[in-house]
Order: sequence, then C-alpha cells, then structure tokens
Amino acid sequence: MKARANLAWSAIGAVTALVLAVLWVAPLLWAASTALRPEHETVSAVFHWLPQTWTVEAFTKVLGAGRVGRWLFNSALVALLVTVVTMALSLSAAYAFSQMRFRGRNLLFAITMLAFLVPFEALLVPLFRIMNQLGLINSYAGIVLPQVVAPVVIYVFKQFFDTVPADFREAAVMDGAGPLRILWNVYLPVSGNIVWAMAIVTFIAAWNNFLWPFIIVTENDMMTIPLGLTQTYDAYGVIYAQLMAAALIGALPVALAYVLFQRRVTHGFLAATGLKG
Amino acid sequence: MASVRLQGITKQYEDNLVIKGIDLDIADGEFVVLVGPSGCGKSTLLRIVAGLEDVSSGTVEIGGRVCNEIEPAKRGIAMVFQSYALYPHMTVAENMGFALKLAGVPRAEIAERVARAAEILQIGHLLERRPKALSGGQRQRVAIGRAIVRKPAVFLFDEPLSNLDAALRGQTRVELARLHRELGATMIYVTHDQVEAMTLGQKIVVFNGGRIEQAGTPLELYERPANRFVAGFLGSPRMNFLPGMLAGEQGTAVHVRLAAGALVDVAADAARASPGAAVTLGVRPEHLRVEAPENGGIPATVTLVEYLGDSTIVYAQVEGVPEMVSLKCRPDAPCPERGERVSLAFDLGHGHLFDADGAALPRAQAG
Repeated sequence: MKARANLAWSAIGAVTALVLAVLWVAPLLWAASTALRPEHETVSAVFHWLPQTWTVEAFTKVLGAGRVGRWLFNSALVALLVTVVTMALSLSAAYAFSQMRFRGRNLLFAITMLAFLVPFEALLVPLFRIMNQLGLINSYAGIVLPQVVAPVVIYVFKQFFDTVPADFREAAVMDGAGPLRILWNVYLPVSGNIVWAMAIVTFIAAWNNFLWPFIIVTENDMMTIPLGLTQTYDAYGVIYAQLMAAALIGALPVALAYVLFQRRVTHGFLAATGLKG
Repeated sequence: MASVRLQGITKQYEDNLVIKGIDLDIADGEFVVLVGPSGCGKSTLLRIVAGLEDVSSGTVEIGGRVCNEIEPAKRGIAMVFQSYALYPHMTVAENMGFALKLAGVPRAEIAERVARAAEILQIGHLLERRPKALSGGQRQRVAIGRAIVRKPAVFLFDEPLSNLDAALRGQTRVELARLHRELGATMIYVTHDQVEAMTLGQKIVVFNGGRIEQAGTPLELYERPANRFVAGFLGSPRMNFLPGMLAGEQGTAVHVRLAAGALVDVAADAARASPGAAVTLGVRPEHLRVEAPENGGIPATVTLVEYLGDSTIVYAQVEGVPEMVSLKCRPDAPCPERGERVSLAFDLGHGHLFDADGAALPRAQAG
C-alpha cells in the first residue's frame, strides 16, 4: 500500500517536473526555431512550429554584418571585471565582518545589509549623476563600478566564514600571516565552492544586466549584448530571425559557463546552506 | 630558549573578569602545566602568552622582553591547538613549512627543517598527504611538527591530547616528555586532565576561577595541597573530605571529632585554629585502609565495589558525610564486600586538615 502511494507520488513529481521543463525550454526552442528560418517566414501569417526552410542566414548576418562580436567582447569584459571586483570586495568585507574585531563592526554590517532594502532602480538617477560627474558615461568603469557592491554576496561569505573554525585564523596569525594573507591562503581555499558559486551567479547577473548599461551607455561600440539586441532592427522594424540568433549567441557563453561549473555551483550552494561542505 | 614571566595579568570581557591577577614565573626550559576545570581561565592565559588575546592589565615577558605589544609571530613562540588547526588544503609538508615560507626562509632550508622535524616525529612518510588522509594521532604529530620547524623559544600546547583515544593519549604523553628532553625548550601546556598534568609537568599550576590556587612540583601539590580545591582536583579517585571539628592536640597530633562521632588523629599544626573550630579532614583513597570494626576508626558501610584489574575501588557510606568515601584496595589485600560494615583508618601522616575557608593547615611531621 505504502509502495503504491510512493509510486503515485513519484509519478506526480515526474509529470510536474516534465511540464515545468517543457515550459522552461519552450521559449528557447522557439527562439532557435525562429533563428533558423528565413526572415519572411518569421512574419508569415501561417503558423509553423518548425521552419519550412532551414537556414543559418540570420546567424551569418548577425555575426558578419552586425556588432555582435563587439557586444560579446564588451559583455565578457564587463562581466569578468564585475565578477573579479565583486569577489575581491565581498570576500574582504565578509572576512572583516566575520573575523576582525573593530569598533562599529556590527553597525557597518547592518548598514551594508540595509542596502538590500534599496532597489537598484531607486539609485539609477543618483548613480547616473555621479558617473556623469566622474566622466564615466560610455566607459567600462562606468558600467562596472555600480555593479560591484553586492550585499547578498557579502552576507553569504560572512555566514560561511563564521563557520570556519577560528583556530585556522589563529594558527595563521601565529605563523605570521596578516589579514589579507589569511584570507587568500586560508579562508579562500577552504571556501572554494562557495566562491565559485557566487562568482558564476555574479557573472551571469552582470552578463544579463540590461538596465544599468542601458542608462550609462549611449555609444553602439560600448554596448553589452543585452543592450545590443535592442539594435537588431531595420527600417521596417524588428528583424526577428536575427534578433533570436543574436539572443542565442549572447546566451551561449553564459550557458557554457554554467554547464562547465555546474558541479561547483551546486556544491557551493549546498555549502552556503550548511547542508554539505 | 627563554623564560616566561607574567606579572599582574588580568583579562576582562565586558563585565566578566576571567583572569584575576596572575603572577607566574616559568624558568628557561621548564615544562609547566596549567591545569584546572573548564572555564577557569587557563586557556585564556595561554592565549595571552601567545598574543592571541590582549591583556586588560599586566605584562607578559618572554626571554626578558615585554611582549604586550609584539605580534604573535614575533614573540618566538609556537602553539599546538586543541583542534590541531592544520590547513586542510595544504599537504603535511606545506602545513609545516607555511610559517617559514611567510618569513621568507629559502625553499631549500624550509625543506631541510621540515624533513628534520618529520624525522624527530617519525612522520617522514606522511609529508605529501593532506590532513584529511591522516589519523588523529598523525595529525597531532603534524601539529607538533609545525611548531618544531619554527624553532621557537617557547612551545604552547592547548589541550593537544583531548581529541585522542585513551591508548594514544598515553603514548603521546610519553613522546611529549621525550620531545621536551630532546629539545630542551620551555613548554607551557594547558589541560584539564590531572593525569597529563601529573605525568608531564615539572611544575603544575592549578587554576580556579581565574586565579592560581597553587603552583609547584607534582609531588608538592599532591602531598601538600594548599587548599581543599587543589587537594580535590589532583588524584583519582579524588581525596575524601569528612567534616569535623578540632577536639584538641597532643604533640604533633591534632584530634579531630568527625560528624559521626569518631575521633581521629592527624599530624598537623593547628596553631591557626582553636579547639571547636570547624575543619575538614582530607584523606586520599590510597591512604585509607579497612580495619575490623572492633579496632576503632571511622565506621562505614560498603555500598559499591569496583574491580579495575590492577586495583579495587571500594565506596562506603560514612555517617555525616554527604558524599561516598572511596578507598583503594591493594591487589594483595582482602577487600570488603558490598553491604559489609567496616571501620576505616589511616596513618597519622596521611591526613590533611582544611579550615572553614578551605585553606590547608600546615602539616606536621608525624611523630
């Protein structure tokens, strides 16, 4: 009786998972289907799930004539810089909040956490003004800097550092290591998976970020790929096949990065939740 | 090598004064054990010597140099942690050489010093392993090795054997004693285990409530405890305490009337106390013997007999004594049975007397 009930629940679970998977993958497949058909088919009055004529014309046009290559480069550079700087800042801040004793530590941490409550949209205007005053409009620094403050990453690292036995730090102090050396040589290696997980999440978020680059960038050459996608139109409006081709090309590096580091990311999140180190 | 001098050390965490004025001199090359119950401040004091905690007041001198403001790594000390604190991502060799690497010691010299320490500790075959591939005993050796390679003037040990099983603890105790002889270094060792304290320490410092209760050689502390706390802390089973009052003296013998009415004699100097004063008689289990009831002594009823192989522990109830009185039967002596009524006796010189405040009355030579 119990076995039958378990089987029923397993079946329900499997069907639910399948439905969710189909819902998730459908837009992706539709994007691929659109990108692989001639432009005139994308606006055809007759609906077809699959292209009537299979072609990679949209991909060749996007890669050949458009600025996708430049946008991909910009996205890669921006995402990489955001990731590296965010990790460096967040790890240092988390280490200080977790392991160092100084006056005002708790207050500073509380203020950092309060940043959670302020939506990024509310900061757009002041941030734009600051970047403008600093002369950073249409620059990589202008795109990167506002994205490197990540309270949630600081919080996750701090929570993890709190669980690392203090003896490690004290042994390193006895060995003659300063705070940065301890962070680099002791805490970073023991928190490898969490750092990878946070780095991948930060990288993906920076890669996909549309709003801030949209505000700070006006020059075509400085656009990142999400922003560049909005440029895929001609005199008659949006070119759907090319738009989808560009979107797929833009998403490919992120998908690859996730597939490559999937195991580390999963372990990292498990470690962050305390389920597994 | 170096001596260590602590003067007027106090440590306060907000409202909590955990170290209440410690003065302690540790001679060059001495093996000193700080012992006491959990939370008595012994580990805090060790961490103060290490530089991992600041003092609230007082001075820490190592090798004649005041170290209060000197970083831990520059004090000429090395510490073995209770958890060993081996870096999990480094090999044994990297763990042992990390401090030297940070100090900028050439790679060849690091390798040489690591190899030499590994040879002393017989862990040469483990150098390329990571800590998770080591047993508890091996990790412990690596932790000691990490301290040795630095050639410190003072070694600090924070309960290093507490994670080992009983057999390995015994073996490692012997090795630590050997290491101390070979290196001749000053060693400060914290433990709550009185057996470790008695077997390892040239000097034992008994801590309680952030204060030193008594410091001296193991024999001094065992035979002439300064107070009831020290008397009860050292020795297993612990010393028996029987309440009573001074009933007079004759020569070097002090008569003590126990709560149950029995009158016993103890070799003590009772000049500090007057007849009728409340005292506590202390007798170690190995100094109590069973007599036939008709021979006088302290009447008792045996409640439990524990056979330990090399000896037998007899627990007996004495009227007016809240806790069970224990005595060790020698293997060759007959032991009473459970429920048997017996009489307990001890030699004049084996009794200890403590006044109402717990301070020991000076002992007199048994005449």
